Amino acid sequence: MTDVSAAHPRSSGRLVRPRLRIVAGVCAGFARHTGLPVTLVRTVTFVLALCGGAGVLLYGWLWATTPDEAPATGSGGHHDRLPKAALTTSARSGSLTTPVAPALASPATAGTTGTTGASVDAAAGEPRRAPVTEILLGLALVSTAGALIANRLGAELPLDAIIPAIVALAGTGLAWRQFAELRSGAGPRSSGMLVRALGALVLVALGILLFFITSESPNVWTVIVAALSVLVGVAVVVAPWAVRLTRDLSDERAAREREAERAEMAAHLHDSVLQTLALIQQKAGPHSDAARLARAQERDLREWLFTGTRNAPVDLAAELRGFATTLERDFAAHVDVVAVGSVDREVPEPLLAAAREAMLNAARHAGGDISVYVESSPAAIEVSVTDRGPGFSIGAIPADRWGVRESILARMQRAGGTATVQPGPGGTGTEIRLTLPLDVQEDTP
Amino acid sequence: MTDPTASATGDAPDLTVVIVDDHSIFRSGLRSELDPALRVLGEAATVDEAIAVVVATQPRVVLLDVHLPGGTGGGGAEVIRAAAPQAPATLFLALSVSDAADDVVSVIRAGARGYITKSSSGAEVSEAARRVAGGDAVFSPRLAGFVLDAFGAVAGETAASIDELDRLSAREQEVMRLIARGYAYKEVASALFISPKTVETHVSAVLRKLQLSSRHELTAWATARKLL
Repeated sequence: MTDVSAAHPRSSGRLVRPRLRIVAGVCAGFARHTGLPVTLVRTVTFVLALCGGAGVLLYGWLWATTPDEAPATGSGGHHDRLPKAALTTSARSGSLTTPVAPALASPATAGTTGTTGASVDAAAGEPRRAPVTEILLGLALVSTAGALIANRLGAELPLDAIIPAIVALAGTGLAWRQFAELRSGAGPRSSGMLVRALGALVLVALGILLFFITSESPNVWTVIVAALSVLVGVAVVVAPWAVRLTRDLSDERAAREREAERAEMAAHLHDSVLQTLALIQQKAGPHSDAARLARAQERDLREWLFTGTRNAPVDLAAELRGFATTLERDFAAHVDVVAVGSVDREVPEPLLAAAREAMLNAARHAGGDISVYVESSPAAIEVSVTDRGPGFSIGAIPADRWGVRESILARMQRAGGTATVQPGPGGTGTEIRLTLPLDVQEDTP
Repeated sequence: MTDPTASATGDAPDLTVVIVDDHSIFRSGLRSELDPALRVLGEAATVDEAIAVVVATQPRVVLLDVHLPGGTGGGGAEVIRAAAPQAPATLFLALSVSDAADDVVSVIRAGARGYITKSSSGAEVSEAARRVAGGDAVFSPRLAGFVLDAFGAVAGETAASIDELDRLSAREQEVMRLIARGYAYKEVASALFISPKTVETHVSAVLRKLQLSSRHELTAWATARKLL
């Protein structure tokens, strides 16, 4: 059941049933375990099955008591070539390989290259529905018929035990197959599930009842034992749902605990670390390295604390704030991003790129306090980047300097917007304003 | 917003302040960083302490943390509501590590005259306190941005008359936009060709609207925080 055994099939010390299987993987698993040729094992089993059903019983017993092989990770490749080998539906954690009868119904995702010659991999994430129910039914019918014929031919078979047992097994298999579907999360129509669950229940109950009714002349003890057996049978059938229910419950509880823990930690960090970072910034002076580091840390922490898992479309303000953090790490600059309004659509890439370039320019050539202002109205998005540096005029830029001319001005023009470069507030520094009109779509909410 | 108004310290008596913050390290840090012209009358760490200290010392300006333990859980806003009636000459300046709009709005609506971030330097805090003491409102770029958002300026809403509380006039919007861009009041004045005093008038008008407006965005925050 370990990954080691999956990786080195032949050196495995434990008897497991491989993913690659024709019926339930018992023969293949046995062959792998003993090192015998799988064909030989299969032939012997078949011959034994003809000898009064001994092979079938042996097979069933091994099937019930042998755990499934752990799902192999990282096995990819081509699909199954054996249609019957596709007795696999979904992922299995391996924690639930209780040695009860559900072998046929046990799900699996990944096949390992086993010993049957055909290298078979179940493609992960592609659940395949195997005709388990049909196979179960067929097996039950065939073995029943075989047993009947053997009986007619004179073999002394405990028919009255075998037939109910087969019926009960089939019912249990059906029930655990439901379990497989439940676990895979592929919820089929609930009515179908109900019908099958009821069918499984009836089968199990019938099988167990038959076992006692046909055995001897019924007396009080038989009836009591029969009733208890039916109860046990029902418990076995219901077990999958119970297991699933408790598992879901504990999953949910764990998630809630994690959430509470996170909230508590966020509150604590807000009260302690953010305050300390603010103090460091205050004491260290606005342009020192310590202040920059503290500020970058604060921003990171704040983002982690308050945004949580966000899967919204790219937000221009958030994007620029993130960029501001990296700028503050690399340059002696203090970048303040103020965003007004919100856009409910994808931010045009040229605007984002031009805004980044403008911020980079400001941080590199001016440093100090840099203000970024984003205003997103339904009609246009405007970004202004203001610095307090030495300033420059657009005419004074050499033609070979690509930074401003190409990356900002030309880029905005190509995107249908405008960019202006002008002296900053009070005549110091530079202010770059990017405006991108949006084609107003009336129907967007 | 860092331009010094030299006139404030000249003949005026010392500016008295009280520092309210639940972190002693922050209080002592701020105290040592503050301009010497500011006289710290006291410190407080909780809502109840803060109310007691403010009422007892009657400072000119309270540097008030938005998040405070104690009281009924109302934080800085609760301090303002409880202490302001008993200290009529006292003005409140909110300090916060949180840039969350609803935090800031809650203290502003409770009556704070301005808001700055805690990472501001001692000189900046001193300047802001002086400005508040002088009767002006202190707007950080972020608060200006929030105001533009909350009053629908981005969507093109403009007040038709001076008395209207729910929208900003065109001039107020221009002032707020420039403040949000990081302009100091003086720079706003020169960019708009108006006097700094006019800028301050506009800012104070915006602050008043922020405190009194019944715009649904503001009201929603206020009710969510049990302010109304």
